[in-house]
Amino acid sequence: MTTVGQLVLSGLLIGGIYALMSIGLTLIFGVLRVVNFAHGEFLMLAMYGAWAMTKYLGLNPYYSVVAIVPAMFLFGVLVHRMIVAPALDKPHLVVVFATMGLSILMQNVALMAMSADLLDVPPMLGGRSFSFGPFYAKPELLIGFAVAVACTLALRFMLQATYLGKAIRATVQDGEAAQLMGVPVPRIFLITFAAGSALVGLSACVMMPLFSVFPTVGLNFVLIAFVIVVLGGMGSIEGALLGGICIGIVQSLSSYYIAPAFGQMFFFMLFLLVMIFRPAGLLGRKGEASIGIND
Amino acid sequence: MDAAPPIAKRRPKRWRLMPERGTLSLFELALLAICVALVVARPPQYLQDVIIQTFLWAGLALAWNIAGGFAGLISFGHAAFFGLGAYTSTILTVNHGVTPWIGLWIGGALAAVFATLLTLVCARLRGPFFILSTLAAAEVVRIAALNWEKLTGGAEGLAILPTASVANMVFDSKTTYAALMLGYLVIVYAVTKAVEGSRYGYYLFAARDDEDAASAAGVNPLLARTGAMGLSAFLTGIGGSLFAQYFLFLDPTHVLSPELSFQFALLPALGGLGTAIGPVLGSFAITPLSEMLRVYFGGKAAGLHLAIYGGVLVIVMLYFPSGIAGALRRLAQRRRSDAP
Repeated sequence: MTTVGQLVLSGLLIGGIYALMSIGLTLIFGVLRVVNFAHGEFLMLAMYGAWAMTKYLGLNPYYSVVAIVPAMFLFGVLVHRMIVAPALDKPHLVVVFATMGLSILMQNVALMAMSADLLDVPPMLGGRSFSFGPFYAKPELLIGFAVAVACTLALRFMLQATYLGKAIRATVQDGEAAQLMGVPVPRIFLITFAAGSALVGLSACVMMPLFSVFPTVGLNFVLIAFVIVVLGGMGSIEGALLGGICIGIVQSLSSYYIAPAFGQMFFFMLFLLVMIFRPAGLLGRKGEASIGIND
Repeated sequence: MDAAPPIAKRRPKRWRLMPERGTLSLFELALLAICVALVVARPPQYLQDVIIQTFLWAGLALAWNIAGGFAGLISFGHAAFFGLGAYTSTILTVNHGVTPWIGLWIGGALAAVFATLLTLVCARLRGPFFILSTLAAAEVVRIAALNWEKLTGGAEGLAILPTASVANMVFDSKTTYAALMLGYLVIVYAVTKAVEGSRYGYYLFAARDDEDAASAAGVNPLLARTGAMGLSAFLTGIGGSLFAQYFLFLDPTHVLSPELSFQFALLPALGGLGTAIGPVLGSFAITPLSEMLRVYFGGKAAGLHLAIYGGVLVIVMLYFPSGIAGALRRLAQRRRSDAP
C-alpha cells in the first residue's frame, strides 16, 4: 500500500510538472488554432538559458526565472512575427511544416553550439528528500507541482477576470465578431503566442534541477506535452493539469509494475484511445477534433 | 524548344515540356535519363552512396505524398510503416531463411494492414489531431520494437549477415544497389502517376479539398482516404525492406524514430505537396545536399546540414508553399505566356 501511495504521489508531482510544460502549448492551440511543433525546442532553449545562468552566474535555477521568462516572451514575439503570423492565413499545413522546420533548425544549432553532452545543475539540499509519514518527495518536485497549480489558477483568473482575458476568450469564440467589437485580434494572437512561450520559459526553470538538458531534450518532452494537451482537451488549461497528472500517475505506476520502457507506451496507447473514443479530450468542447486542415 | 503556336497545337498532347497530371512530360523523361546515366556511369563509391540514398528517399517521399499530398492525411508516423517493412523482411531472412524478394511484399502488406486499421480508427480526426495520432501510433511501435528483444534484438539492433547473392538481395557492387533503388523509385513514381490521373485520384483530391462536397457528389471520403493511406504504407514498407537490404542493420532508435517520420513528410513539403514530381525534386535537392554537407563538414559541424535544412524549410513554407514543383510550374507558365 505504501508503495502504491508513494508511486501515486511521485506520479502526481511529476505530472504537475508535465502539465506546466504543456500549458503554453494548449494556450497557443486554444487561441490561435495552431500546433507549435517547435514547442519542445522552446523548452530546450530556455533550459539551456537556465543552465547557463546557474553555471556562469552561480544563480539558483529558480531565480533565473527573472531573466528567462521575459527572454522567452520576446523570443515568442519574434517567432510569432516572423513565422507564425505570416502562416496564419495559409493552409494549416504551412504552419505545421514551418514550425517543424524551426524545430529542426533550433535543435541543430543547439547541437553545433553546445554539443550533444548532457548538462545538469546540482540538486537542491544535496539531493535529500522531504518525508511525510511513510512518503518521500524531492523538494524540486514539490516546488514544480506548486508552480504548476499556481500557474493554472493564475491563468484561469486572468482569462476570467481581466480585460485581456476577456478579449482572448472573445477571440476564441468568434474572431471576426471580436474584431468588429474592437478587439485587436492580431495583437491578441501575438500576446498569446508570446505568453505561451514565456510559460515554457517558466517550466524550463522548474525542470532544470530535475532533468538534464541536451539538444534533442525537447522531442522527449514535446511528445508527452502533445499527449497531455490532447488528453485534457486541446485549449483547456485545467484539462492540461488534469491530463498531466493522469500521465504522471500512469507512467509512474506502469513503469514500476510492468517495465520502465512500457510506461511510455502506455500513455501513447492511452492517447490513441482518447483520440478514438473522446477526440475532444477529457475537458475539451465537443467537435473540437473535427476542425479541418483548411480551416 | 518553343515552337510557334500552330505547331505547338499540333504537337501531340502526350509530350508536354513540364510535368502535368495524367501525361508524361519531356522533363520527367529527361530526369529518368539522367538517373539511368548516373547508375550506368559508375561514379566513385561515395557518390554512388549519395545516389542510392537519393533514389530511395525520393521513392519514400513519393509514397508519403500519396497519403499526405493526395489525400491530405498528413502523417508523422510513417516511420512505423517503414520499420514494419524493414523488420519483417529482415526477421524473415535472418530467422526463417525467407528471401527478401518475398519478405518485402509481406512487410509492405503488414504495413498496409496496420495503416488501414489506424486510418479507419482515426479517420474522423482532422488537422493536428490526425497528425498527433500518427505520431503516437509510431511511438507505440517504436517502444514495442525496442522492448520485444526476442523478435527485434531490442536496442542492440538486428544485423543481416552480408553474404552477397541475388537470392539474399545483398550485392557487392553499389551499382546493383543503385539500379535496385532506381527501380523502386520508378515503380513508386508510376503508381503515383497512375493514381494522380485516375478517377480514384480525383476522388482523393475532392475528399481532401472539400469533404462535404465530395460526399454529396458520391465519393466515400473514408474509403478513399483509407485506401490512400494503405497504398502509401505498402510502398513505404517496401522501401523499408530495401533500406534494410542496403544498410544491413536495423535498430529501433533509427528506423522507427519520429525524426525519420518528419523526414518523410519534409521532402515532399519542400518539393511540392500533392504533385507527382514534387517529392522527387525534394529528395534530389535535399538528400545530396545534406549528404555532401555531412561528408564535407563531418564531425566539425555535426548538425549543420540539418540546421540548413530546417532554415530552408521555414523559408520555403512561408514564401513558396507550393515548393520546387510550384516554382517550376510558374516558370513554365511564364514561358508559355511570353511566347509570341
